[in-house]
Amino acid sequence: MDHKRIAIVLAVIWGVVAILPVFFGSTNLYMHILIMCLIWSVVASCWDLIMGFAGIFSFGQVAFFVIGAYSSAIISAKFGVPPIFAVFAAGVVAGGLGVLVGLPCLKLKGAYIALVTFAVHMILEPVLKGDIGRAIGTGGSRGILTIEPMNIFGYTFLSSEPIPYFYLMLLVAIICSAIILIVIKSHWGTAFLALKDSEDFATCLGVSAFKYKLRVFALTSFLTGLVGGFYAHYVGMLSTRMLGIDLFVTLMVILVIGGVGKFPGAIIGAFITIALNELLSPLGPYRPIILGALVVVLVLLLPDGIIGLIQKILPKKNNGLPIES
Amino acid sequence: MLVEIIDVIISGMINGSVYALMAVGLTLIYGVSKAFNFAYGSFYSMGGYVAFMIFGAHINNYILVFCLAAPILFLLGYLIEKALVAPLRKRDDWEIKVMMITLGLALFLDNSYQVIFGARMKSLPTILEGSIELGDFILSYQDIIIFIFSIGGILAFRWFLNNTRTGMSVRAVAQNPAGAQIVGIPKEFVFSATFAISTVMVGMGGILLAQKYFVTPMGGWDILVKSWVITAFGGMGSIKGSLYAAFIVGMLEAFVGWHFGMNWTLIALFAVLLTTLAIRPQGLMGKWG
Repeated sequence: MDHKRIAIVLAVIWGVVAILPVFFGSTNLYMHILIMCLIWSVVASCWDLIMGFAGIFSFGQVAFFVIGAYSSAIISAKFGVPPIFAVFAAGVVAGGLGVLVGLPCLKLKGAYIALVTFAVHMILEPVLKGDIGRAIGTGGSRGILTIEPMNIFGYTFLSSEPIPYFYLMLLVAIICSAIILIVIKSHWGTAFLALKDSEDFATCLGVSAFKYKLRVFALTSFLTGLVGGFYAHYVGMLSTRMLGIDLFVTLMVILVIGGVGKFPGAIIGAFITIALNELLSPLGPYRPIILGALVVVLVLLLPDGIIGLIQKILPKKNNGLPIES
Repeated sequence: MLVEIIDVIISGMINGSVYALMAVGLTLIYGVSKAFNFAYGSFYSMGGYVAFMIFGAHINNYILVFCLAAPILFLLGYLIEKALVAPLRKRDDWEIKVMMITLGLALFLDNSYQVIFGARMKSLPTILEGSIELGDFILSYQDIIIFIFSIGGILAFRWFLNNTRTGMSVRAVAQNPAGAQIVGIPKEFVFSATFAISTVMVGMGGILLAQKYFVTPMGGWDILVKSWVITAFGGMGSIKGSLYAAFIVGMLEAFVGWHFGMNWTLIALFAVLLTTLAIRPQGLMGKWG
């Protein structure tokens, strides 16, 4: 898909999402699900940018999300920073940690990167629950139970009235997707395309894989941490349960449904998956089984996700560089 | 003090030997087919549950249990590889797709165990009661047997790789898949067989450790992470490297757990791993490529 098409698809998606409260606004539960969809669409798009475009097998996305959520909660509680600034500080913390993880890790290859980033994910739970975590104020295994709700210039967003928060998150999601689109369109995107086609040749021409990968890693960690902060101030409580494998796989389902490296796909995937997840929740313990089976079946049957399916059906319009590999 | 240290060393050696068995299985799949298996931990629990079911059928002889469990695990591993991983191999981005599909499989299997067997811990009978007492410290027969079985398993596997035709064809595929195919080695079969063998190895590890640590539906994640750390530490695809790394990790874990508490073992493990990878990105004995 070329950039113009992505932009049009994005505009259509966000346009449709923006009028959804007209239909669902009366029920708080539906609005809650929609806000979750928006939050996860940003996280999934960031992951797609790392994995699909930059070709880094990062498995630390949920970890950066949790880092962002915790740091925002702690910063706003400990230093009395208004939530809206705490959220940005959380993004900076997550981005900084992203650089710290990226520095040793991005020089590695394939499965090693997956290992180190997943290691960050696995290590986070003992850290947050243990003595270090308690010293920073994570509340140990109990978690953080009271987080100040988001307020901007004196206006407080309450979780009992989700519609204003929905539009705030929509704004965040639109800005994030615009940033991702700009990244894909800029020389970063072209550099990754070159690196993917022939890493040796691109390196000879002076494209530094490490530099670009580190930048994209820092950027996505920042955005993910930021959204994590917004999540924390929305739900009002945090625990390490988020680090369970369940959420991680949900995020992966989003990407599988949307298609890896097919940018707006992750957003569509997020809406489908989160809605599906809520529909399946009455099934209790069978829900993760179905989720797991869904990943297996979809990876086998739908190799390029929904966007790939649409592209197969619609005639190809080919001008400019093909973005998908 | 001295007795305690010797105790810690012994427990490190015993855990290290089982880790070695499991890490060798993981490094085998990666070395041969460059596929990364996220469901490895679930196969560990699978071994425990298969043994639990065999015991449930009133078969109380451990040798019989091993003889029954090995073919079952082999068959399961073989079928999973043929059905899920093999079709992906033809695609360009199959590496990431294999990781995704095995992660989905892991979630599926773990929660299936939970639904079928319940969330409560299952225990297996100890393999041999009793212990040797040497002066101040005590060595249980169970630990000795775990150690002997794991080391024996690795040695048998090494013999298989070096001395049998099938084993040599596995090594040939690991070195050069295209070349192996040209000289008539059935590549697809070797891929499936190595996957199945690694399933058997981790399943055996599951049975051995289940007597000490119980079987739980989610218990495999810890094992996956440890095997993963060991293979990366020792060098992906290097069996000798994983062997050394497994004992280093076992010792490290035992000492850190003894001196600082169990919460710190994972953190210490990753600190060591990250330092190693920062200095030597290919691990202790790995090669690039």
